[in-house]
Amino acid sequence: MIEYESTICPYCSCGCGIYLVIKDGKIIGQEPQHEHPINEGGNCPKGRNAYQFLYADDRLKTPLIKKDGRLEESTWDEALDLIAAKLKKADPDDFGLLASGKNTNEEAYVLQKFARVIMGTNNVEYCGRLCHSPTAAGLGPTVGSGVMPISQLDIQKADCIFLVGINPKETFPMMAKRILRAKEKGAKVIVLDPRKTVTARDIGNIHLQLEPGTDIAVLNSMMKVILDEGLESKEFIESRTEGIERLRDHLASLDLKEMEKISGVPLKELKKAARWLAKAEIGCVLYNQGLNQHSKGADNVKALATLALVTGQYGRPGTGISPTRGQINGEGTGDMGCLNVFYPGFQRVGTGASEKFEKLWGVDNLPSKPGYPYTKMLQETKYLWVVGTNPMMAAPDVDSVREALERKELLIVQDIFPTETAQLADVVLPVATWVEREGIHAYVDRRVQKINRIIDPPAEAKPDWWIVCQLAERMGYKSKFDFSSPGEIFEEIRRCVPPYKGITYERLEKTVGGIQWPCPTEDHPGTTTFFTKKFNTPDGLGHLQVVDYRPQAEQPDEDYPYVLTTGRSIFHYHTGSMTRRTPKLNDETPKGFCQINPTDAVAEKIRNGDKVILKTRRGSIEAEAHVTDEVPKGLVFLPFHFGESCANKLTNPVLDPACGMPEYKACAVKIEVKT
Amino acid sequence: MSGNMHIARSSDKSILEKAECGGAVTSILKFALETGKVDGVVTIRAKNGNRYAGVPVLITEPEELSETSGSLHCSTPNIPRFVKEYLDGASTMKLAVVGKPCDIRAIIELQKRKQIDNDNLILIGLNCTGTLSPTTAKEMFIEEFEVEPTEVMREDIDEGKLVIILEDGTSKSKDLIELEEKGVGRRDNCRRCEINIPIFADLACGKWGAETEEKKSTFIEVCSNKGKALIDEAIEEGFIEVEEPDKRSIQLREEKDKAEKERAKEWKGRDFEPLLELAPSERLDYWIREFNKCIKCYGCRDACPICYCDHCLLEANRGFVEGGKIPPDAVFPLTRLAHVADSCINCGQCQDACPMELPLSKLFNLLNTKLSEVFDYTPGVDVEQGPPLSAVMMEELQIEDTFLDMSSINTRLRGSESSNSS
Repeated sequence: MIEYESTICPYCSCGCGIYLVIKDGKIIGQEPQHEHPINEGGNCPKGRNAYQFLYADDRLKTPLIKKDGRLEESTWDEALDLIAAKLKKADPDDFGLLASGKNTNEEAYVLQKFARVIMGTNNVEYCGRLCHSPTAAGLGPTVGSGVMPISQLDIQKADCIFLVGINPKETFPMMAKRILRAKEKGAKVIVLDPRKTVTARDIGNIHLQLEPGTDIAVLNSMMKVILDEGLESKEFIESRTEGIERLRDHLASLDLKEMEKISGVPLKELKKAARWLAKAEIGCVLYNQGLNQHSKGADNVKALATLALVTGQYGRPGTGISPTRGQINGEGTGDMGCLNVFYPGFQRVGTGASEKFEKLWGVDNLPSKPGYPYTKMLQETKYLWVVGTNPMMAAPDVDSVREALERKELLIVQDIFPTETAQLADVVLPVATWVEREGIHAYVDRRVQKINRIIDPPAEAKPDWWIVCQLAERMGYKSKFDFSSPGEIFEEIRRCVPPYKGITYERLEKTVGGIQWPCPTEDHPGTTTFFTKKFNTPDGLGHLQVVDYRPQAEQPDEDYPYVLTTGRSIFHYHTGSMTRRTPKLNDETPKGFCQINPTDAVAEKIRNGDKVILKTRRGSIEAEAHVTDEVPKGLVFLPFHFGESCANKLTNPVLDPACGMPEYKACAVKIEVKT
Repeated sequence: MSGNMHIARSSDKSILEKAECGGAVTSILKFALETGKVDGVVTIRAKNGNRYAGVPVLITEPEELSETSGSLHCSTPNIPRFVKEYLDGASTMKLAVVGKPCDIRAIIELQKRKQIDNDNLILIGLNCTGTLSPTTAKEMFIEEFEVEPTEVMREDIDEGKLVIILEDGTSKSKDLIELEEKGVGRRDNCRRCEINIPIFADLACGKWGAETEEKKSTFIEVCSNKGKALIDEAIEEGFIEVEEPDKRSIQLREEKDKAEKERAKEWKGRDFEPLLELAPSERLDYWIREFNKCIKCYGCRDACPICYCDHCLLEANRGFVEGGKIPPDAVFPLTRLAHVADSCINCGQCQDACPMELPLSKLFNLLNTKLSEVFDYTPGVDVEQGPPLSAVMMEELQIEDTFLDMSSINTRLRGSESSNSS
């Protein structure tokens, strides 16, 4: 029998609906789901090729244990017994756990509970550290909450849209659709990006093409123009913010011409953009990694949020500054507390959270000091459990990551493929993914949607939650992990994480498009717009931030004369483990490439299609050169999807001290033709 | 002529109770399944009872048929694709397929291309005056009708009105043109569609002409021998009761069809004229601007019920369109246009599947309308008639002028026709 079963796309965090066509327990096709409010039947290239990766030949199907330097097939009992025996010897500080932006909330919840209750440590993190930690650190003090404050659906209501370090046409196409809808109705679109992306070229009315990493110079200049011209929202500033005098004094001390020289953005264009945003009825700001992934990412975010506050662009549908998380559960895994400083529900470590959870969970001695952030955890722990994440591709300075992982007493990798990280593991655990298991995800705008189990996982693969519970039992904690289904875990989440209290599986089954948290009661429709009356700060006010421009940590010099920036593209996803196993996507872009400006190409004698060597102080890789004016002179762009051209062998592991974000977006590189 | 027409209703009480129009179609399908005339019925079902989520289903058990009765105006399932892609083009089983005129036409186009088996299919066509995209419909019910989408039990589109029937039995009605001018209402391909009665199916069934009957009934026109055999046996075996329609009913049906055709022509004018009035270079600019929104998802191609190649020329591994680039070169949409424009049956699936909202159905429908005029050809209504751009007529081989001068070709064609006949 043929059945159409609805589910949500496994790629970015828009949360688009699709139908999978099922015959005899196997997915044989997919069809548009027209009734889903996010995508209305449309999908991007990845969304149109959503399921093929499940059937890749090299899916992990059985537990593997390293014996004599080789990973050999094993059984669950053997693997779990071995892990439990080793973990019993681990000191709290020696253990670390990396969760995923792709696991369900139920899985994320039991993972962090395992680290805290059984291992006694807050060393639990996920890839959110590498994408939106500046969001939390920047928006926390400014508006009190680091989430998308609106519904995606309301982007189309805006009459000015400011895109900051985000390329939605490639990375969030369903948002690009709504931006285009707004534009059809006359909205102005401003793009701030060092690259002339397809978004800048085809959607933007103005492209502010800044020098990499000079965001604060641009944002401060925009604020200065707005205050100088009296375009600020005086009533909003007066009633809903604090700190305007401090900000005014600071901006008064800045010289616009000097800022123009730093950023390279012509003042005339910048002024036009500033006026558009200030005068907009509904100004919508979307930002992403171009703003975040700097050693001053948190300051960047603070400046952007302050600009939105000064212009009064907060608290109404479609307004505000929206961080755009890149994974299906990029929001939810954080909500569930897979962060070194947050218990579930963003209850901060050290502020009574451990005591609260001791009561909720019925345990003693929960850790109350922060754990290591992601990249430190890779280096500092002896026992590391990596779940659905691939630091050998995703973390900066991969060669040093390799050294650290090779030193581990125990490296457990739990994944669906033998990833670059899994190759180094002592134990590899095969998992069920996406529609092979049940659970909920929170998509980009806090939109909680449920994934049903539609097909069986391959062979011995098991859901993450099952593995955690099995291991907990072997560690002697059965009573605290006595769950027989994701539904039972979710009921505990509803008790412990207030924003999820009113959401039930039954409601989600009935609500196409899901429910946006916070949802305090079972008859509450969910919350589309944040900050309508007050901000989530202790005093309810928006706190205007004063930040200064600082240059990137590593400047180009004679030896490494270009700036290297990394990022994503439309046909591939993150470290490529899914899309490179999807023939239709991989055929579009089958090998690693870098973009270089024609002028630089001439100077380096590089022709389009040449194999080039990119070298930084960390390492070197080879890639195919694409000579294009998408990048300005002096800048080289390198996507991080390709194992054979691993971008993160090159990147600078220097961290933003405020949040632990590595500087992926700017380091010094040299480039030469491979001879 | 009226011997081929019936006013029909089910003889089965339980079907009658649920039916919107007398349950004749359900009973005919039940007859076909129970007597093994077909192995399965392809129709649509509201997924989990959600009327905005109609999906194609294959039904093999007669008792499941009643779940599928009633129209779902706010769902846009792709029935021909379901038959072609997931039921092996009916090559392995006998199927009765229930569909709107565009669904039936797409199946006929696929039959021409040997993608769907002719002999294994019985086509039950349903009259249609248009459908709505589910998200537009839900929004419209809230904004314009001020009702919750879940309260709507049924819709009816007739005489230029959209009527909705609510849970509590009451109804609300609004002028369709007024709604559509606000950008809601029917899908834009449906607004332009002039084919309301699927007389190219084996049976064409609908409410028009049966509205004045005392008991709720369906007007059925028998359009083929296959259709005739099926309905005659269903009558004989007592599954349905029929009467011969009177002149007035037949006339009423014709008038309603004509009025809808007029409305569609008006919409064509509204949609096409602004484009046709543009200077050629401006028109090209317009389309290039639209094509530049494309993110190369292949959604239009995959949704197109006429497209069928296993190894599509547009795939990145074919080397025809440069891979990895968005927007793709205009050769991408233009190749699709060249491949299917002559056969486009205006089902709107391409536009529904487009994430960037390109007005694809408008483009294909405009070109197809022009081609139809030139070749006097309507796609999807006659399985014997080949697509004009892949069939070459003798007369065309005599054309010397490489720059197609349509009026001179038409003159020539007309000239040669008259000389042939003389």
